[in-house]
Amino acid sequence: MNDTTTFSLPNALPHLPRHLLSGLCAMVFCLGFFSVSPVHAADELAANAINAIGDFTVFRTDGIQEQLEGKGTLPLYEGDRVKTGSGSQALIEFTNGIQVALNENSDFLILSRWENDKGFTRILRLATGEVWVKTMGGPKPLEIETPVATAAVKETEFDIKVLPDGQTTLTVVEGIVEFGTAFGTCPIKTSTISYGNRGKKCTKPAPVDVAPNVAWAQGIRQ
Amino acid sequence: MKDQSRLTSLLFTVMVLLVVAQLTGCLGSTPPPKPEGLNTRVYTANESSNTVTVLDGDTYQVLGDIETLNYGAHDLALSRDGKQLWVTNLANGRVSVIDTESRQTIASIFTGTRAHVVALTNNNKHAWVANIAENTISIIDTSIYRILGTIPVGKGPMGIAFSRDGKLAYVSTQDKMVNVIDTAAHQVIKQIPVGPNPHFLTLGPDGRIWGTNTGSNDIYVIDPGTNEIAETIEVGPAPQQIAFALKGTAGPNAYVTVTGINKVVVVSATSPTLSIREQIDVGEEPNGIWANAVGTRIYVGHTKSNNVMVIDSGTSQVLATLPVGRKPIRVVASR
Repeated sequence: MNDTTTFSLPNALPHLPRHLLSGLCAMVFCLGFFSVSPVHAADELAANAINAIGDFTVFRTDGIQEQLEGKGTLPLYEGDRVKTGSGSQALIEFTNGIQVALNENSDFLILSRWENDKGFTRILRLATGEVWVKTMGGPKPLEIETPVATAAVKETEFDIKVLPDGQTTLTVVEGIVEFGTAFGTCPIKTSTISYGNRGKKCTKPAPVDVAPNVAWAQGIRQ
Repeated sequence: MKDQSRLTSLLFTVMVLLVVAQLTGCLGSTPPPKPEGLNTRVYTANESSNTVTVLDGDTYQVLGDIETLNYGAHDLALSRDGKQLWVTNLANGRVSVIDTESRQTIASIFTGTRAHVVALTNNNKHAWVANIAENTISIIDTSIYRILGTIPVGKGPMGIAFSRDGKLAYVSTQDKMVNVIDTAAHQVIKQIPVGPNPHFLTLGPDGRIWGTNTGSNDIYVIDPGTNEIAETIEVGPAPQQIAFALKGTAGPNAYVTVTGINKVVVVSATSPTLSIREQIDVGEEPNGIWANAVGTRIYVGHTKSNNVMVIDSGTSQVLATLPVGRKPIRVVASR
């Protein structure tokens, strides 16, 4: 059976042979498929910063800098770098429903990876600082890259902190995070913590009281 | 009796037809595999056309172009099985992964600003990508295309090569150094001073690390036992890249593209000290160079004339000149 026969053709087009319509549908489908750019365009909205306390700056790819003070909407795009200053926090909502809160002195880049069979995966490259992440409305692929590790998630809530030397601390509030360094991967589950260090596999998950680790994000989320 | 005779005659006819069909290949059976070494694929990274050109390295034919779906294709690394081709894209900092069987880009990964060169670890599990403008190496898992870490190195990483045992990585940087990295710790353990604008690095058949000082006239060889420069030799202005091949019983020799004189300079890699054996005239601005797996053919890319010359290393004669994309910087061939 041809794949095109699975399409339901509208009865409003009775004068065209069904096989011709099927062919046209297949062509339109294929054209649409192949016209998708594998790289997110710089003008494609990735997220909105919706709240900021203190110093929150966005560095665009063309060198322009923009800031958000208090509640509002500051669009963020692929390639943007966002930073919070000392004593500052910010809340970002991605277009696919992922919420990210930045703690003070955080610095990350908004990126994506494209794969032929999977499409786009949103990536946040966290150079330093701390973010709290919660995916909402079903599984959403997201990866947080740090200098020494990567946390990959689909449906979860977690906190990740990067020290200046790259040491990464992952605390999972709910769900499972695939946490890996170049030396091995560890699945980290609800209410556990793991550390990633340069040149080492991530540590085995250890039970932890997650509440104190994510308490900082409560203020900015309100 | 008559029927039996007819049946025997019919069976005989069918058998004859089957034999003829088998001999002429009409049955559509799988053709016998080619002997090893006769399936050389050559790839060029064409920086100004954002493509990779595929050549048949044995019949000297252009097989087609592959869109990298990125900007500024610069360096190439081919997996040992020849199925994955990794391409850095200098202009937009991404790496393209090409499936060589379907000749399509199957993934695009941002590594860092001005992603310059790429090398696969000896087990092909990781791709190391040098980001010139960020002074880092990105480590990518080659099965899931996920970046698993970055290693800070010196200013402007330009070339990457791994030691034979894979325990050390060598990264040349624009601050006139080669950084030695412990691959088990992802730490720079030593910096070796070299010449101006050190660029290309490769593992030689002698187990030593060979590099070019593109900013001067010489190439150098690092002894991985001491991690010191063992030898240097002047080859001419702006040496670019190095491949190794044989000349009859002589060799392996190092074939160095020297842009400033439009030649490939052949350096003996087996004599006690480095010595120049000959110089081969090639086209304008030779840059990328690679040898086939058996070391009898050299493929030289020219960034000005946008072509690849196939050279017989036995006679040093140019056998073919093949058009490729614009500004072919890098050439690699299947093993």
